[in-house]
Amino acid sequence: MLLHDRSTTAGAVLGVVAIVFLVGQQLAVMFGLFTLMSALVDNSGADIWILSQNSNNTSTAGDLPARYVDRLAGLADIEWAQPVIYSGAQLKLPSGRSQSVQIVGTTRPALEGGPWRMAAGSSDVLLEYDGATVDKLDLADLGNPKVGQVVEVNGKRIRIAGYTEGSRAFGPTVVFVNSTKAREITGISADRCTNILVKLKPGVDIRRVRAEIRELLPKASVLTVSELAWNIRVYNFTNTGIGSSFGFSTIIGILVGVVIITLTMYTNVLNRQRDFAVLRALGARRRDVFAIILFQALTIGAIGLLIGFFLLAGFLFGVKGSRLPANLPLWLPPAHALLTFLLCFLGSVLALRRALKIEPASAFR
Amino acid sequence: MDILLESPKSEVQSPMSSIQSQGVPGTPVLRLEGVARDFTDGRVVRRVLKETTLDILPGEMTVLAGPSGSGKTTLLTIMGLVLKPSAGRIIVGGEDVTGFSEDRLASLRRQHYGFVFQQAALIPALDVLDNVLVGTAIQGGRVSARTREKALELLSGLGLKDYLSSRPQQLSTGQQQRAGIARALVSDPILLLCDEPTSALDVESGRIVLDTLKRLSRDPRRGVVLVTHDPRVFPYADRLLKMEDGAIVYDTRSAPTGGN
Repeated sequence: MLLHDRSTTAGAVLGVVAIVFLVGQQLAVMFGLFTLMSALVDNSGADIWILSQNSNNTSTAGDLPARYVDRLAGLADIEWAQPVIYSGAQLKLPSGRSQSVQIVGTTRPALEGGPWRMAAGSSDVLLEYDGATVDKLDLADLGNPKVGQVVEVNGKRIRIAGYTEGSRAFGPTVVFVNSTKAREITGISADRCTNILVKLKPGVDIRRVRAEIRELLPKASVLTVSELAWNIRVYNFTNTGIGSSFGFSTIIGILVGVVIITLTMYTNVLNRQRDFAVLRALGARRRDVFAIILFQALTIGAIGLLIGFFLLAGFLFGVKGSRLPANLPLWLPPAHALLTFLLCFLGSVLALRRALKIEPASAFR
Repeated sequence: MDILLESPKSEVQSPMSSIQSQGVPGTPVLRLEGVARDFTDGRVVRRVLKETTLDILPGEMTVLAGPSGSGKTTLLTIMGLVLKPSAGRIIVGGEDVTGFSEDRLASLRRQHYGFVFQQAALIPALDVLDNVLVGTAIQGGRVSARTREKALELLSGLGLKDYLSSRPQQLSTGQQQRAGIARALVSDPILLLCDEPTSALDVESGRIVLDTLKRLSRDPRRGVVLVTHDPRVFPYADRLLKMEDGAIVYDTRSAPTGGN
């Protein structure tokens, strides 16, 4: 019956589209940021990360002895272990101003933990003493340096030797260099590093090896990649404005949608009281009226979902390859669809209450 | 129009085994024993229908007349099992249904009752054919091919063959009312209850509807009750009841001579 009222149906569908698109868009950007937050960890090629004692994420980590790498060499299940250096620095722009960057120093010759996707060429450019790579998407922030151009970071010269594509992280622009240059820039001595990356041999139980490393290095924090990635996301989500900002936007999106659905469904029942009364008189039980309202709500949900997902796909396509991170994990669309149907049901509760109160006798008044 | 005179015969077996799925000639399809209805208006209890005993016989067109507020709609809704009486018993097809649950009464209405409402009361979202079938499908049941065929025959007999896919708002009020009659008949009811079916119709449309209802009432297995305050209806009545102040004050069956 609701579907007969095109304007009312359009209003309800609009509510669902608002939920699907606004919430979906917010979640896509949030998950995009999540991906970006732990990108360096997720793409490091390692299975286990070792951080300074009592650190549970890279933002709060200090430095640790590089000789720990030698101790790890005694463990049979480890394929390789490499020290890396993560540190903030200031890059001097051609304009004379400074730009905050994040230096990632990877150890030659393996360059583990280095850039994982190059725009062109190879990451081997980092084997050169002063070679550095920056991401194409960050070039504007860095004054559009050309390949071969020399720039200063913390007063030390590096040469832009290549561009990466999507090898970025959350926060300051990432500049990949080798660990020798990184130590020169950051002042971290040769016997220290900020993290050690550990790659296990295939088929090895990661939890068991993590426990062995914890026993071997009691003054370090030993985390699997998934643990560290989770910690980084939680830290950034709770210690920056991201959590409150995205949480608020998502809740507003949900509220707007639910209010629109509720009002339109309720108005429809008010306008169609006689029809419901006639149906009751003809033999509809309360459960049949319940089914009608629910069917209407779910139909509107399905239409809104299709339109909303179409718009969302357009949004994701539009921001692909841009600086705005957006990522929809595979489980999110079905979960989002379930949430939408649940909200449609909640939005129809008021209408249901009203419709179920309609007495069949009122068809005769 | 032959379809309109077919004997009522329900396809669906009644859940109430003792209720006849067909009216039995000579025995009441509906009996009200001392039914009364009170309405509470704040703290004041008002009896809008005084104790009434009444038999509705098959093969008869019973017309219930009276001024507004006389209690005729209340009596009709009690007959229609959509309003519970405050006192008395309702017997349908020989079984006392007074204590039936709301759901059982709904099933009883769906299977054995036909309603013709004031201004047709068709569902605007459905086309004419679906409006006729809505009662049979309302409890989630599948509409059988035979029921669909019956609906098509009814609509054809009522001159609506060319309007099967039309929406109610595309029909004239007379056509809408005839579609409403088809809806009431599709389940072969033993009792057809009509609430002011001609009130919104012009003279000609009203005459067509009344002629149709009169033909339907000739079926010896079906009772027809028609509530009206329109005197044009009275000549069609086999039995005329007049109500005033919540009571039947005149009944042609008990009157010394029949008349209006």
